[in-house]
This record gives sequence, structure tokens and C-alpha cells, in this order.
Amino acid sequence: MESEVNGILVAAHELKAPINLLRQLAFSLDFAEDDKDIKMIQNKMISVSDRALRQVQDLTKIARLEDGLFEMEPVAVRAVCDDVARELRTLFRFNHRRLEIEYRNRTRLVSANRELLYSIIYNFCLNAMHYSDEETRSEMILSDKNGKVRLDVRDYGPALPLEVWRTIRKGWVEKPTSIAMRPGSSGLGLYIASKFSQYMKADVGAIRHRDGTSFFVELMPSRQMSLFEDGLYY
Amino acid sequence: MVYIIDDDRDFAECVARMLRKFSGSKVKIFSNGIEATMAMNDGVPDLIFLDILLDGPDGFTFLNEMASYSDTEKIPIVIMSSLNLQKENLESYGVVRVLNKAEMVPGDVKEIVETYIG
Repeated sequence: MESEVNGILVAAHELKAPINLLRQLAFSLDFAEDDKDIKMIQNKMISVSDRALRQVQDLTKIARLEDGLFEMEPVAVRAVCDDVARELRTLFRFNHRRLEIEYRNRTRLVSANRELLYSIIYNFCLNAMHYSDEETRSEMILSDKNGKVRLDVRDYGPALPLEVWRTIRKGWVEKPTSIAMRPGSSGLGLYIASKFSQYMKADVGAIRHRDGTSFFVELMPSRQMSLFEDGLYY
Repeated sequence: MVYIIDDDRDFAECVARMLRKFSGSKVKIFSNGIEATMAMNDGVPDLIFLDILLDGPDGFTFLNEMASYSDTEKIPIVIMSSLNLQKENLESYGVVRVLNKAEMVPGDVKEIVETYIG
């Protein structure tokens, strides 16, 4: 019960940050320098709201996981990465960062739920944007590894705090955990990614680099893969 | 010159807009205390707006740092945080106001500018 209450508190705290920001952006409209500045503030308000709404939607999905509403199906993982990149590139650019994709995988289809996989990749990328240094790139790297398909999201910035890495290394993030380094972002995102991966029987983890962090998810290939690999559909 | 130290760049930009309007001063934004401290080698600011939960060392570490140098100990510091902090506990570190991020309004910034920059 206590950990549930702590989890709710952390979730509430993390959702408070975008609301605080929206409030200040609304005030900022009175202080804008010109029409261009007003347009920029409005765009920012929309993107902050979109991200906050996505987090709320993801939290409600967690509550519905046990109902088995999210069907596992063959998912074209590259297409999901492309969609996430399409949605987030502008946000990265606004924040003076870049998002790049590198495909090294032969296996095209994974066994997953598209909606949940999208959220995992989205949360990893958003986390990378928050944690990376300005004017750096973050990379989505898809590769085949030990019979699975692995997606790494690598950022370049401060190393992941040791205590966070230890928590992730031990296994799943079982409750929303506040990451002291930047409480407005990734604790909740990691929890969401962890829950969705667990549901899809995928593995998640993190690698500490001296100049940043990689978060990864390893997915089972779809059994329908062979049809694609044999070139019947491509 | 006013410094804003906040790792939420968007939030900092909002405050910077108000400061430019109310004070006409130059405003510099830093995402952590280390960068801000290094920038002070070229001259100290007239006022600092400081978030507490930051990338790397937190705002309390920065407050200690400021209080320890003769040229920075007198700089008025305004805390902006989502945490519930009491100004009385931080006054010895040069903190003149504590603004709650969920409640602060442009009038707060205006009042601070008028009091400490003139």
C-alpha cells in the first residue's frame, strides 16, 4: 500500500511539471516580442499538452493491461520507429537536438502490440531528449541480437545516475520512481516502458556510457517473420 | 544582468521573457549551477533565479557555493521550485524570495525586479 501511494505521488509530481509549464506559457503570451514569438509559444503549449496527455493515456493503459485488451501481433518495428521519429523530430529540433535512426536489423517483424511498442520507443526517445546535451544527436538503433530484435535509444549527455542504473539492472521498474537528476521527465516514462515491455514479454535495460546512456528493449521476432525474410512480401 | 538556473529550458524562457520586459536587463539561462558559477568569472549577476532540482549538483549545493565566496555572497537569490520550501530556512544563503512554480505569477517577478534591480 505504501509503495502504491509513493507511486501515485511520483506520478502526480511528474504530471504537475507540464501543467506548471503550461501555466507559465499562458502568462508568456502577454510578454511575447512579436507574432513569431506568439506562434512559438502556442506551438510549445500544444506539444507540452500532447506529451502530458500521452503520459496520462499510458498510465490508464497500465491499469487496463490485466484485462488483456492489448493483443499481440506481428509488428513492423522499423515502421514504428519511423512514426515515433516523425512525431518527435520537431520537438527535438525545438530543443536544439537531433533524432537519428540507424537500421542494422534483418528481422522485420516482432511479436508485440503496436500501441504499447510505440509508447516504449516514444518514452525512451523523450527521455533521451531530456537527458542529452544541447546540439547533440540521439540515436535509435535497431539490430538483431541473440535471436531477438533489439532497439537501443542512445543519448549523449550526463551519465545515468548509478542508483537508477542499479534499479534497472535488477529488473523491472516496479513503481514510478523519481529520478533525482531531472524529476520532470523520465521516472514515469521508464515505469511505463517497463510495464509495457513486461506485458509483451520483452526485456528492457540500460547501459551507462561515460558520455550518456542507452535504454534498450529486446523483442521476440514474430513467427510470421519467415514469410517476410523469404521475400514473399517484399 | 540576471541569471536563471533551471534545467527546464522552457520554464526558464518564460521567466526570462518577463524579466526582460520588467527590468530591461540582460538575462542568461543555465541548466545547472556549474555552468552558472563558471560564467561568473566574467562578472557576477545582480539577481539569480534558481530552481532546486537540477541536473547534476542540486540548488542547495549552488547556494552553499554562492555563500562561500565574497563576491557572490550578497547576490539576492530567488528560489523557484515545486518543492514546499520556507524562505526563513534559506535566508542565510542569500535567498530573498521563494516562489512556488505552481503558484507564481508575473506580478511576483515584477515586484522582485523593482525591489532588487530598481
